[in-house]
Amino acid sequence: MALLYGLLWRLLLFLVHINRALVSWLRVRLRSWKGRLWERAMSALLLPVALAGVPDPQRKVNQDPDANANPVTGNRNAGRRSRWLSDGRSLEKLPVHIGLLVAEEEPSYTDIANLAVWCMAVGISYVSVFDNHGIFQKNNSRLLEEIVRQQQDLVGGDGSKYDVEFLSQGRDKHQHHVVSCWPSVKVLSPEDGKQSIVQAAQQLCRSVENRERSSRDISVSMLDLLLRDSKSVPDPELVVKFGPVDSTLGFLPWHIRLTEFISLPSHRDVSYEDLLGVLRRFGSCQQRLGQ
Amino acid sequence: MSWIREGELNLIEKISANILKAGPMPKHVAFIMDGNRRFARKKQMERQEGHMQGFNKLAETLRWCKHLNIQEVTVYAFSIENFKRSQNEVDGLMVLAKQKFEKLLEERENLEKHGVCIRVLGDLNMLPLDLQQLIAKAVVSTKTHNKCFLNVCFAYTSRYEITNAVREMAWGVEHGQIKASDVSEALLSECLYSNNSPNPDLLIRTSGEVRLSDFLLWQTSHSCLVFQSVLWPEYSFWNLCEAILQYQLNHTSIQKARDLHREHQAFVQLEADRACVAEHLQHHGNGKPADARRRQEALQHYATCREERIHDFLEALQNRRDSYYTDLLSDAVVA
Repeated sequence: MALLYGLLWRLLLFLVHINRALVSWLRVRLRSWKGRLWERAMSALLLPVALAGVPDPQRKVNQDPDANANPVTGNRNAGRRSRWLSDGRSLEKLPVHIGLLVAEEEPSYTDIANLAVWCMAVGISYVSVFDNHGIFQKNNSRLLEEIVRQQQDLVGGDGSKYDVEFLSQGRDKHQHHVVSCWPSVKVLSPEDGKQSIVQAAQQLCRSVENRERSSRDISVSMLDLLLRDSKSVPDPELVVKFGPVDSTLGFLPWHIRLTEFISLPSHRDVSYEDLLGVLRRFGSCQQRLGQ
Repeated sequence: MSWIREGELNLIEKISANILKAGPMPKHVAFIMDGNRRFARKKQMERQEGHMQGFNKLAETLRWCKHLNIQEVTVYAFSIENFKRSQNEVDGLMVLAKQKFEKLLEERENLEKHGVCIRVLGDLNMLPLDLQQLIAKAVVSTKTHNKCFLNVCFAYTSRYEITNAVREMAWGVEHGQIKASDVSEALLSECLYSNNSPNPDLLIRTSGEVRLSDFLLWQTSHSCLVFQSVLWPEYSFWNLCEAILQYQLNHTSIQKARDLHREHQAFVQLEADRACVAEHLQHHGNGKPADARRRQEALQHYATCREERIHDFLEALQNRRDSYYTDLLSDAVVA
């Protein structure tokens, strides 16, 4: 009997995987189709969209088809930049701080760099990039170079408006003072999550050990202040999770108490429309803050 | 209505449960039971009625979990942020909570029969005293049960919980029980309200919201998160199965991530011990650099002492927490 159930379970998983493969194949094919057709296809597959892990259908956006392929001209860049800015302004709300959580093996620097540049172009002030293995943090400089390169390609020579202040948190915690109007990119790894909280706790305990304060003085706001390396950077309001893993994988546990999580299947070959779709969904999230 | 629902699953449910149980099953599931008020609006009933339906759904979900061999369930019943709601609604929720805990105490025999251990996690001193006393009675009377565990988060937020854990460690340092260098991820986990439970394998939030709302932020860092759009009072057995299936699909990759994290934690602890030992040898050595064998011995000795210190500190912490409940009970008797 147990053997039978075991086989049935394996069959169930197999069916779900087939379903997912079909859905992602359809997603590519139906990308430009109207929303209703997409919904009908999904319901025909008898699977809730959430389980399939596929984004909601997006409205058709006028897109320059060879945005990344062709050599850059000044006019095209100016046109793109103003379109991105106006897209940002047209959204109901825009996060001040966005997190890009890559839950996939072998991250792609170009795609993440694209995302970072689009986020900044649309008007998001702070972008945090995270991957579970700390690969981005180990190859900090490579990511920075890629971002600067994509900035040149996508935004053009006049990069001064979008100066990237590159904050890197690591063992050598340099204090970078972020001027609030400049966008900045932060690269995070799992060490910046629970380990940071532990380090803050150690700091407080050491000050108690040295009789500089009492244990009774320790409050939520005190701990919060220690975990914030700059007062102007708010908690991430939105985290976009890339990949099939449904977990935060240790991403900044303290800071994500009110963060909205929206998933995309992959960060590879991600498009501007994908990002815009996510930002639109974020716009419709309503926070009641306990009330 | 009762906390414990009797009753078997029907045939189709039983077959589906058996199929799921052939794969890896979560041992601890956490629920954010969201959507009571929206349900009430949808069905045009009073808010209070929506909360009542929500409680009934909890009892039913516990029955399903029992049939699915899910031993431990944690639920988010009342957040510290919820105190911001209208006085009317807050009072209503406190009254509902009192009624439910009173009912729980009436069902003590049934709880013993099923071996249900009830724990309440949160900053309980924020609650009215009579509710605190009822909670103390419920917790103490079910303390020894060990077949299944229900953790109710009441007057809880994760940030308060983490801060409280840090405060407890600082208290330990203040009273010379532990050193500041003993503070680690593992020790912090042991000082949380949830220290008697393993981390949740699966976190389910209903009503379509896709955030954690300050719930178990530390404990769910490597849990499977499932967001479902159904409203909590409308939750069904099939919704639960869907969430468990999601858990099973993620099981391997999450397990890998957990193992990686654990390895890293062990490495950090070893490095910290090494640094302490090196400092100690420097201060107490005779000027000559210590050989590898002496260093290794010193390291092992230091680790053993550290573990003993921590064990004693945690025992003292547990005693303080137990006496909070027993004090409440003795006050209740006197009153």
